Amino acid sequence: MNGLAGRRIEVTRSGGGDFRRRVLAGSWVALLLAILGFLVIYPLLTLLLGALTDTNPVVDGFSLRHLSIANFLTVLVNPNVAEALFNTLIACGGGTLIAVVIGLAFSWIVVRTNTPFKGFIAAASILPLFAPPLVAGVAWTILGSPKTGLINTMFKWINLDWRVDFYSMWGLVFVFGIYYAPYVYMFTSSALRNMDPSLEEAAEISGASAFATLFSVTFPLIMPAIVSGMLLSFIVMLGIYGIPAVLGAPTNISMLTTYIFKLTNWSPPLYNTAAAVAIILMVVTGALVFLQQKVLSGRSYTTVAGKAYRPRNLDLGRWRWFTFGLGIVYLVVVVVLPSLALIVAAFRKFMFIRDAASLFDMRQYSLMHFESIFDNPLTMRSIYNAIEVGVITAVAGGTLAFAIGYTIHRTRMAGWRSLDLVSTLPVAIPGLVVGVAYLWAWIGIPGGLYGTIWILALAFVARFMPDTVKALSTSFLQIHRELEEAAWVCGKGVLGTIWTIVLPLARPGVLASMTLLFVLAVRELGSSLFLYTSNTMVMSVLLLDFYEGGNLGKTAAFSLVQMVLLGVLIGGANRLSRGAAQGSVARAG
Amino acid sequence: MNGKIVARMMAIAGVAACIVALKGAPAQAQQEFGSPELIAAAKAEGRLVFYTANFAEIEQQVIKAFNKRYPEIKVEMVRAPGGQLITRVRTEAAAGKLIADIVDHSDRALMQPLEDLFQDYAPPNAADYNPDALISSKFWPRATIAWSIAYNTELVKDPPKSWMDITKPQYDKMTGQVFAQSGGTTWTRIMFERQVLGEDYWAKQAATHPILYPSGAPTADALVRGEIAIAPLLYNVIYQKKKDGAPIEIFFPPEGSPVNPYASGIPKTAAHPNAARLFLNWCLSKEGQTFMIKELGNLTSLKTAPAYPEGFDPKVVKVWYPKFDDYVKLHSAWVADWDKTFGYRQ
Repeated sequence: MNGLAGRRIEVTRSGGGDFRRRVLAGSWVALLLAILGFLVIYPLLTLLLGALTDTNPVVDGFSLRHLSIANFLTVLVNPNVAEALFNTLIACGGGTLIAVVIGLAFSWIVVRTNTPFKGFIAAASILPLFAPPLVAGVAWTILGSPKTGLINTMFKWINLDWRVDFYSMWGLVFVFGIYYAPYVYMFTSSALRNMDPSLEEAAEISGASAFATLFSVTFPLIMPAIVSGMLLSFIVMLGIYGIPAVLGAPTNISMLTTYIFKLTNWSPPLYNTAAAVAIILMVVTGALVFLQQKVLSGRSYTTVAGKAYRPRNLDLGRWRWFTFGLGIVYLVVVVVLPSLALIVAAFRKFMFIRDAASLFDMRQYSLMHFESIFDNPLTMRSIYNAIEVGVITAVAGGTLAFAIGYTIHRTRMAGWRSLDLVSTLPVAIPGLVVGVAYLWAWIGIPGGLYGTIWILALAFVARFMPDTVKALSTSFLQIHRELEEAAWVCGKGVLGTIWTIVLPLARPGVLASMTLLFVLAVRELGSSLFLYTSNTMVMSVLLLDFYEGGNLGKTAAFSLVQMVLLGVLIGGANRLSRGAAQGSVARAG
Repeated sequence: MNGKIVARMMAIAGVAACIVALKGAPAQAQQEFGSPELIAAAKAEGRLVFYTANFAEIEQQVIKAFNKRYPEIKVEMVRAPGGQLITRVRTEAAAGKLIADIVDHSDRALMQPLEDLFQDYAPPNAADYNPDALISSKFWPRATIAWSIAYNTELVKDPPKSWMDITKPQYDKMTGQVFAQSGGTTWTRIMFERQVLGEDYWAKQAATHPILYPSGAPTADALVRGEIAIAPLLYNVIYQKKKDGAPIEIFFPPEGSPVNPYASGIPKTAAHPNAARLFLNWCLSKEGQTFMIKELGNLTSLKTAPAYPEGFDPKVVKVWYPKFDDYVKLHSAWVADWDKTFGYRQ
C-alpha cells in the first residue's frame, strides 16, 4: 500500500487555511480511531487478557495478577491444535481456490458476455449467501452423507455404482468452495461492471484473442478485487463454524473453529484457552493481510477515469450457449441442490429415507414443521428483531466503513495506516469468542446498552467492519483522482467533492456493501449468542436452538423462511442498486 | 331425545360438577401454588425473565401450560447451552446486570459455586422432594431427566435389551454416543456406566466404534435419519420424535436409568421475585411435574411420582442418582480417562 500513498490526494493544501485544515484532519482521524478503539481495540484487549489469564475480566476485575502465558504454551504444544490448524489451512486453501475460479468465471459470464438469461442466473446465484453456514452444512449432509445422503440414494436408484462421501476433507473443501463462490462473485462483478472497456478494445484491436484479452487485460485490471475477494473468502472460511461442525464431526475432522467451539461448550467451559486458540487465528489472518498489502502495493488499478464509456458485452456467438450451460450447472450445484435438500427436510415429517421411492412418497410430507415454528411466539419476534438489527447495522456500519475507507484510500491524513490495520483486525476472531469479548467489554458501560438491540448492532458493525471496508475499498481504488481534482478545480470542498463525485461513483459498491452487511448481520450467530436477551432474540439464535434441539425439519423450515425473507428484501435493494449503478454511469458520461 | 344426546348432557353436567368442585376448593389450589398474597403480587409484576439450559421449544410448552393457569404473567425466556449460560450469568452478575428472575441449569456442579447469588426459596411441597436430588436449599429440581436407549426400527431387526447388549460386536459401527465433556447429563451417564456396569464397560463400548456427537439432540436427529441405528439418549429428547411418529423405539434398560436433576433458583437481584416464585411453585407442583412427565417425557424427583412416562415401569426400572460428592470430585479425572478410551481428541 505504500506505493499508493504517493498517489493520494493531498488534503492539506497550501494556503491560509493550512493550519486549520491540519487540525480538522487530525481531529477527524482521531475521532475515527476513537470509534474503532471502542468497537475493536477495547474488546480485543479484554480477549487478550482472557487468553493470558485464567480469569473472567468482569467477574474477577481487570487485574494483571494472574498474568501468565501458561494458557498460551499449553495451546501451542498441544498436537491436536497443530492438527486442527493444518486441517484448517488445507480446507480453507482448497476452498478459496475453488471459490475464486468459480466466482470469477461466473462474474465474467454475467457481467461481460451476452449469455442468455444472465440476469436471472445472477440474481439466483447469490441465494447461498442468505443461508447461514450451519444451514449450508445441514443441506450438504442431507445430500452427501455416505450412509443416508440423497445423492447416493439417487445413484442407487439409477443403478450407478458411484458413491459420494462429504464427511471428508474433499467434501469440506468442495462445500467451502461453492458456498463462498458467490462471495468472490460479489467482489469481482462490481469491479468488472465499473471497468472501462476501452482497454479491452485496445487489446483486441492489437490482435489479441478474446481469451488472451481476458487474462492479459481484464483480470489483471481487477486484480485488487480478485485479491480482496480471495483473501476475504479465505479469512471468512477460517472463522466458519457451521460447515465443519456438521460435515467434519462424524469423522472427527477437527478445525480451529470447531475446536474453539468445543472449548466454550464443554462443561465447565474453557474460555481462556479458547481465547488463546483464537489468537492463533488472528496471527494467521494478520500474515495474510500483510501479504495482500505487499502484493497490491506499487500498482495502479484505476479503471474509472474522466472519460465517458459504456460497459459492453462480449458477443460470444454460439459459445454463449456453452457459458449458459456453465451458468446452469453452477446454479444447480450451488443453489438448486441445497435448496431442494432443505425443502425436502422442511416438508418431510421425518428424514428417514429408505430409498428413492420413499423420497417421492407424498404421504411423508406435511406442513407440520412450519405450523410448529409459527405457533411459537418467539418466531415473529425474532424475525422483527433480526430485521431491525440488520437495518441499523447496515446503515451505521456502511456509513462508518465509507468514512474509514475514504480516509484510508483517498487522503494522506496522518494515522491512515493505523486505521487500515485496526479496521481489519476483527475479521480474524471467530464469532463465538468475539461474542464473549464484547460481553466482557461492554456490559459495564453505564446507560443500559446491555439488553438492547443496539449492543447487537454495535457488535455486528465491529465484527463485519473488515468485510465492509474491503468491499468498499475496491470501489475507491477504481475511481481516478482526476475526477476529484476536477471538483477541486471547480471550487468544491472535501465534503462537496465526496457528495457530488465520490459517493455517486462508488454508489454500487456502497449499496453492495450495505446489502452484504445486512445479510451478514441477519445471519450472524456467534456474537449474538452472548448479547441477546429475552426481548432481543434474533432469528439466528432461534435457528441454532432448533438445530441444537435436533429438529432438522424445523431448522430447514425456519432457514427457508429466512432465505425467502432475505431474498425478498435483497431483491428490492438490488433493484435500487442497479438503478443507481446505471445512474452513476450516465452521470460520469 | 336419543341416547347420544343424553350421554352428552350427562357429560356436560359432569364437567360442570367438576368445575364447581374445583371452585369450591380454592384454598387447596392456593396451598398448591402459593398464598393469595403471592399470587396477587405475581400478577402485579406481570412478567419474569427465565434463563434456561433446556431447549427453548420444550420450555415453550411448559410456559404455555403455566399460562393456562396464570395468563396474566408473561414468561420471557433466554436459552443458551450450559457452559455459555453459566458464563453469561456470572458476567451479568459481576457487572450488576443480572436480568434473570430464574436460572434453570442442567449441571448442578456448575450452579453450586454460584449459590451466594441466589435467594432462599422453597416450594410449598418442598417436603415431598427426594433429598438425593437436592444440593442446596436454594436450588430445586424443576426438571428431572432420565437416560434410555433408543433404536431405529427400520434398521435394527434384532434390538438390544440392556446396557450390556449395546456393546455386542453385532452392533459394530451402528451406535452413536454423546461425548463425556458435553455436560452434566452425559457426565451422569458415564459415571453410571463405570460405577454400575463395570470398570471395563467404556472399553467394551469403545470397541464397537460409536460415532461421537456434541450433544443429545444431534444424536437423536442422526438416529431418526438412520446415520446411526442405536444410541443411549435422554428420554425427553427422543420421546418427542417418537410421539410425532418417527420410526423409533425407546426402552429403559433393566440395569438402571441414570437420572439428572436440574438446579433452578431465584437470584437475589430478581426484579420479579413473586412471579418467579409462582412460576417455580407451579413447575414443582404435582400439576407441573405431571405435565412435564406426560407431555415432555421427563421423570420427577418427587418421592411419590404422580405419573410415569410411557414404557417406564417403576417395578422394573431402577433410577440411579449420582452421589453429588463423586459428581464434583471425579469429574476431570474420569472424563480424561473416557477421552483416552474413546480416542476423543482434545
